[in-house]
Amino acid sequence: MATVTVSLPLPSLPEGWLAEKDFKPIGKITKDGAIARTIEPIGPHFLAHARRARHKRTFSEDDR
Amino acid sequence: MSAPKPAPGDRTVIGITFGNSNSSIACTNDDKAEVIANEDGDRQIPTILSYVDGEEYYGQQAKNFLVRNPKNTVAYFRDFLGKDFKSIDPTHNHASAHPEDANDTVAFTLKDKAGEDDAPSTLSVAEISTRYLRRLVTSASEYLGKKVTSAVITVPTNFTDKQKAALIAAAADANLEVLQLVSEPVAAVLAYDARPEAEIKDKIVVVADLGGTRSDVAVVASRGGMYTILATAHDYEFAGAALDKILVDHFAKEFMKRNAGVDPRENARSLAKLKLESESAKKALSIGANASFSVESMAEGIDFASTINRLRYETIGRTVFEGFTRLVESVIKKAGLDVLDVDEVILSGGTSHTPRIAANLKAIFPGSTTILAPSTSATAINPSELQARGAALQASLIQEYESEDIDQSTHAAVTTVPHITNAIGAVSVSESGEEVFVPIVPPETAVPARRTVIVPAPKNGGDVLVKIVEGNTHIKVTKPEPKANGDSKAAKVEDAGDSDSDFSDDEEEEEEKREKVWKIGATLAEAGIRGVKAGSKVEVSINVNADLSVTVTTREVGAKGGVRGTLSA
Ligand SMILES: Nc1ncnc2c1ncn2[C@@H]1O[C@H](COP(=O)(O)OP(=O)(O)OP(=O)(O)O)[C@@H](O)[C@H]1O
Ligand SMILES: [Mg+2]
Repeated sequence: MATVTVSLPLPSLPEGWLAEKDFKPIGKITKDGAIARTIEPIGPHFLAHARRARHKRTFSEDDR
Repeated sequence: MSAPKPAPGDRTVIGITFGNSNSSIACTNDDKAEVIANEDGDRQIPTILSYVDGEEYYGQQAKNFLVRNPKNTVAYFRDFLGKDFKSIDPTHNHASAHPEDANDTVAFTLKDKAGEDDAPSTLSVAEISTRYLRRLVTSASEYLGKKVTSAVITVPTNFTDKQKAALIAAAADANLEVLQLVSEPVAAVLAYDARPEAEIKDKIVVVADLGGTRSDVAVVASRGGMYTILATAHDYEFAGAALDKILVDHFAKEFMKRNAGVDPRENARSLAKLKLESESAKKALSIGANASFSVESMAEGIDFASTINRLRYETIGRTVFEGFTRLVESVIKKAGLDVLDVDEVILSGGTSHTPRIAANLKAIFPGSTTILAPSTSATAINPSELQARGAALQASLIQEYESEDIDQSTHAAVTTVPHITNAIGAVSVSESGEEVFVPIVPPETAVPARRTVIVPAPKNGGDVLVKIVEGNTHIKVTKPEPKANGDSKAAKVEDAGDSDSDFSDDEEEEEEKREKVWKIGATLAEAGIRGVKAGSKVEVSINVNADLSVTVTTREVGAKGGVRGTLSA
């Protein structure tokens, strides 16, 4: 997928913001945040998905 | 007969769309899909077989026999495959061979042999389908110069497993291996996405497949080139045949104005002629402002010629045209979406050539929605060719696969996956200092998914906050100021919605404003990127993993390092 470029800027880090390795986990996607649906098994991108699923590979392993 | 199973290397593949009204065959040439013209020069091949003196005709030649040989002509049978006799609707079979009950399945009785004494044969709909598919395959084989062994065939989204099995079996009997059945609307989306100039984007697509005996609409979430159907609707009342009927009635009445008391609809042969010529006039009205209509010996030996202009046609066909629009509106609602959520409308199927239908749809969508129809877009693909092209593209993608691999890849274990319901994005700041949601992964995206955006850092650089949040949209409606005389505006707006877009400009200004706005939801994570250069940009990548854990990676564009963190599921 092409990378999208947006125009509005990010905010500055608030004064005193601190986190281990500069990353602060806060929430998560719960099971309620997703529903099972069926992807149509068609097209090159689906075939890449199926290949990753069958070989249990991640996107970056697939890139290599 | 057992299913043919050529070795992957020995296959010659095509795409087939097998409709109730028409079928098409397509192949790929240097990765480009191409619909094949049969020996009559037709790319839309009527799904009809006809027997005359033991000789089998198919396609347009068979269709022409609806006038002289209706009893031995079989048409509109695709939807009967794999169905119980009790559950079929024989509406469209009145003027050709009638479906019969044969041990609950559907059959037709036709005189398919030459001999005077040969009894007519009762042929199952499966056998009819096999014979018809064999003709398509022969035609494609002749064109390609080698024997076609295998195909991807499109089917409606509401085809049952039993219908699918019946189609695969009918194809096997025609010595055709079905590599895969794919759904009609998604084949149409693929036909567009496979064009070299197409950009793979996240978008909501509505596919309106308007055929001869049915109209099928699907809302598809297209996410990184993967397609998920969110809702579908099917209608058997508003389709091409309903438009033919309107013209049949129109020209019958015109005829009767000149020949009082002679209704050509009352004689089967006259009606058949009237129907064929009305359909031609209808097609002509898709390109021209006028269509002529002329039938020799229309009824009681009287020749008849007439014309109709597009405006008149659009007036008498208005109820049907509005039916298509309502069908599209209903399925968007069923998907829980708004017209403002729709990025593209793909008009597919023969009836989609009609300019009025595209114009009516254009009127209900915002200007930002692309309406892909011949009359609204110079780059639209012929709507009659979309499904066959999509099928051919899929056939070429999988032709080298072992059939076990195809089965495995299309199995629910691979295709049924969680789709996130909220968007995931970052937070930017507007000029007035408000927080603004920047979508990165849109809702209805299947996981695993990976997306990246590039966002400017604050003008002067420094330490930057990347806040990852969930987001969702809602439709913001701004009501116009009430008028001085206290007129209720709501009532006015409803009025305007019903009429055509011919209301005056100042009325248009008074319309309520509807816009889609993002709302920031729960915060998922924060990341700090330190010491960013002035004028620099920040790259934010989100990976939603199969178990719904999320990995965030962000860094200054061009800089080393960056921040990476994971949110457990
Ligand atoms: N140029 C045109 N303008 C208007 N209508 C057209 C045009 N070309 C074809 N049609 C109509 O499209 C319909 C056939 O659609 P299509 O070829 O998509 O068939 P189909 O999928 O087999 O139909 P179904 O299964 O719904 O019967 C017919 O009613 C035909 O008259
Ligand atoms: Mg169709």
